[in-house]
Amino acid sequence: MTADATRPADPGATRPADPDVTTPTTAPETTAPETGLPTTAKTGRGVRDGAFWAWTAVGLVVVFALAALTRYLEQGVPEWFAGTSVEDLAAAVEYPVYAILLGLLGNVVVTVTGIRDRIAAAFRTEFFIKTGLVLLGASINLSVIVSAAGPAIAQAILLISAVFLFTWWLAGRFGLDDRLRALLASAVSICGVSAAIAAAGAVRARREQLAYTASLVILFALPSIFVLPWLAGVFGLSPAVAGAWIGGNIDTTAAVTAAGALAGEETLQIASIVKVTQNALMGVVAVALTAYFAYKVDRTAGSARPGAGELWRRFPKFVLGFIAASVIATIYLRNAGSDGRAVIGVVNDLRTWFLILAFVSIGLEFRVSSLREAGWRPIAVFASATVFNLVVALALASLLFRDFAG
Amino acid sequence: MSDDRPTPEPAPTQPESTLAFNEDWAATVLGLVLLALVLLGVIPTGLVP
Repeated sequence: MTADATRPADPGATRPADPDVTTPTTAPETTAPETGLPTTAKTGRGVRDGAFWAWTAVGLVVVFALAALTRYLEQGVPEWFAGTSVEDLAAAVEYPVYAILLGLLGNVVVTVTGIRDRIAAAFRTEFFIKTGLVLLGASINLSVIVSAAGPAIAQAILLISAVFLFTWWLAGRFGLDDRLRALLASAVSICGVSAAIAAAGAVRARREQLAYTASLVILFALPSIFVLPWLAGVFGLSPAVAGAWIGGNIDTTAAVTAAGALAGEETLQIASIVKVTQNALMGVVAVALTAYFAYKVDRTAGSARPGAGELWRRFPKFVLGFIAASVIATIYLRNAGSDGRAVIGVVNDLRTWFLILAFVSIGLEFRVSSLREAGWRPIAVFASATVFNLVVALALASLLFRDFAG
Repeated sequence: MSDDRPTPEPAPTQPESTLAFNEDWAATVLGLVLLALVLLGVIPTGLVP
């Protein structure tokens, strides 16, 4: 643990350079991991010039090439190994596996070649996954969303409250800084990186804190993608309960989608609805954190009280796109003839492409260095909170989605 | 690039992440536009690999 990560924050102060804090002082191309934007030590703000856009274009070529390779392997491998002893295994490995592995492999290559930071602005996991989720809405009948909304909202409120408070309390016991506590608690309880970004804005956390919170999210999400669908099978969970468990437990939305896709279409749909519901509640938590830090932690005189406008500003708008796509597709299928399903199949293909782009980006974004800076205490807190989340989410999913019939 | 001044406190993140919220709208618009293009037949069956 660096001294910086646990020292009570004093946002207004300046101080001598801390050797443990790796604030870049020379390279304008260095990127902020949470945004992918280049930063400078002087301002911490993004700098965009011709070179930035050129390198971003290179990054997009890398991301799209790895995505195309993923699609090629996903479609080709089952054919290549048909009739062999590994036929079943070849057919069982689905696109999230190829995408993440290729992303990690690409990560090693671009890191070794020294271009990783320059092209990192192209690793737009959040954008790709949100576009994929909007398209996913088109494959979910509106009646399923309506049926699942009640238990999904109940699960989200109970789970977010329990996991957030547990993580906040545990991080306090470990002596972590209040801002880092807020980031870790938001990331574990709501929706991973995007919740951490929202919380970081609310509590004015430092970039380093956000960087290693994001790295922790990915570190824990990667194994969850494979372990949770497997455990759901071991426990004999129904697709709805498995989906609610996966959606309520895995932190980052992209990983939820990957795990759901591995478990099956119905599981994917419920997992997505549960996760989207949690995303929607992110705004409430962000506003609550803003108020708490303004009045209790920072005690800023004259701070404006966050209101309904703030809630709307922090609301993840893609949730509206997800619902709108479901409404449009439901109406379309009701009026289209027998060709309707084939047309929606094209939307599903597009959705798969965006999910692949997101999973490739997850692999490319992963940073070990941020975790080294974090030390063991945030990792211990995150691991404990994840186990707590696993157990509570399983109990709630089993209770609320036991009799679910979409 | 050099910096003569003492290294300041690491910059806090912005109170709001404009980029993240722009991404939200961008993802929503792109997703719905693609859906519309498919439903209108501009992106036909078999075009997406």
